[in-house]
Amino acid sequence: MSREPDVLFDVLGPRGRQRTRIATVVVVLVLAALLWLALRQFAVNGQLDGAKWQPFTSPPILRFLLVGLGGTLQATVVSALLAFPLGAALALLRLARSAPLRWPAAAYVELFRALPVLLLIYVFLLVLPQLGVRLPLFWQLVIPIVMSGSASAAEIFRAGVLSLERGQSEAGYSLGLSYWQTMRLIVLPQVLRQLLPVLVSQLITLLKETTLGYVVSFPELLHNGQTLGEYTQTLIQAYLVVALVFVLTNAGLSQLAVGIDRRLGTRGRRAPGSAGSASGQQRPGLQVRLDA
Amino acid sequence: MLLRMRGVSKSFGQHRALDRVDLDLARGEVVVVLGPSGSGKSTLCRCINRLETVDAGSIELDGEPLPQEGKDLARLRSQVGMVFQSFNLFAHMSALDNVTLGPIKVRRLGREQAQRRAMDLLERVGVADQARKYPAQLSGGQQQRVAIARALAMDPKLMLFDEPTSALDPEMINEVLAVMVELAASGMTMLVVTHEMGFARKAAHRVVFMDAGRVVEEATPQAFFTAARTERAQDFLAKILTH
Repeated sequence: MSREPDVLFDVLGPRGRQRTRIATVVVVLVLAALLWLALRQFAVNGQLDGAKWQPFTSPPILRFLLVGLGGTLQATVVSALLAFPLGAALALLRLARSAPLRWPAAAYVELFRALPVLLLIYVFLLVLPQLGVRLPLFWQLVIPIVMSGSASAAEIFRAGVLSLERGQSEAGYSLGLSYWQTMRLIVLPQVLRQLLPVLVSQLITLLKETTLGYVVSFPELLHNGQTLGEYTQTLIQAYLVVALVFVLTNAGLSQLAVGIDRRLGTRGRRAPGSAGSASGQQRPGLQVRLDA
Repeated sequence: MLLRMRGVSKSFGQHRALDRVDLDLARGEVVVVLGPSGSGKSTLCRCINRLETVDAGSIELDGEPLPQEGKDLARLRSQVGMVFQSFNLFAHMSALDNVTLGPIKVRRLGREQAQRRAMDLLERVGVADQARKYPAQLSGGQQQRVAIARALAMDPKLMLFDEPTSALDPEMINEVLAVMVELAASGMTMLVVTHEMGFARKAAHRVVFMDAGRVVEEATPQAFFTAARTERAQDFLAKILTH
């Protein structure tokens, strides 16, 4: 997806190029001015003082932040490992031909896609303990994320399956494969490939949802950053460092997706000429052209 | 009779795609289905392995009525090879894997045995040297020949061809037709929906002409092309032959 040639825009002519150059210069100037204003404001208020940043060079504090990052990553990975397969299963159930399979899946998806994760977390934090169920902190955070994330993932997978050419599954059925075999062997592998960029966005969403960990006091990155900032009285700096770590982590995830995409190479690319190519549906008048 | 269709009807909404179609295919017979577009040829083809359900009538393969669903339907489909207009090779698998998938997953053949067999088939359709390539790396003609090999790998009793050359560039049509002619000569039972009159003349035992969902005329290729009996068929032939 990231290496597609420009298909959205026409190649620019001379006047277009001129305009683009001017716009580029203007935008760069505006951004530079904004950055300068921000930095000056920080400087005036003493936020750029070395002392304010000093804590973030000390190993114990870095270790504390790393523990937070570890918690964030752990919650994200476990959520993803549960939410994505569950989402795929829900999508297939929702696409199944029998109504008793379809309805519960549809109800689940519509319900948990609509509810905010925070509300679900409150259920696990406040309601369930009253009923005598008290889960560990980690699961109080992860289960709500999985419930909501699997519902979103299900809709993504469903759209992906529907967007794949019907011919692919028909070819599977024609060989005598069952519905589930066709989905597992033919449809899902191709859909996964197509959905890779969307799934990475979804993964990043899951990662960001783990910041709701502060509600249940689960030690994730933002929670630890906040604790740290309050303790050392450097809240702004702490948040900036945490923000930087989030940006770097998520950039890493995107990069990972590009890497996977490249590794897969031409596998699963749509074949040229298939997809009911326009060339000659009807070809009357072509007569004997057999060799021999 | 290997295939026996009686009174088969199928509608899409208001459109009557098949209207009380009767058709028989003897073992080893090659039948070409001709007709203007929208005459129901493709639907006929797709009904035989139940990619489309029928509204009325009966279809029997080898004396058994077409199963409605489940394992029996899958088993029936595994005995009927289907070649599509748009090839429909599995885009995420190499040519070789496309051909071995059915034998391994449906027939439970060992991988090695399936691959040996698949290479023989790819050799037979002339693309053995492309076995490791993915569909996107093959020309249309090569893809369609791999698709034929994929269908043959299941040892089908009957091969269905749904306009197998209609999506191909002209210079690639012959390589696919040549494979089909060889297949016909080898005694395979074939039902071929096509516009290739050359193939019909050369390989078909019988031509079935359809119009508006009905079988209007059945004849030997020789008789059909030289002296079609019905006006509709004469019209159709006049249109395609005067180009």
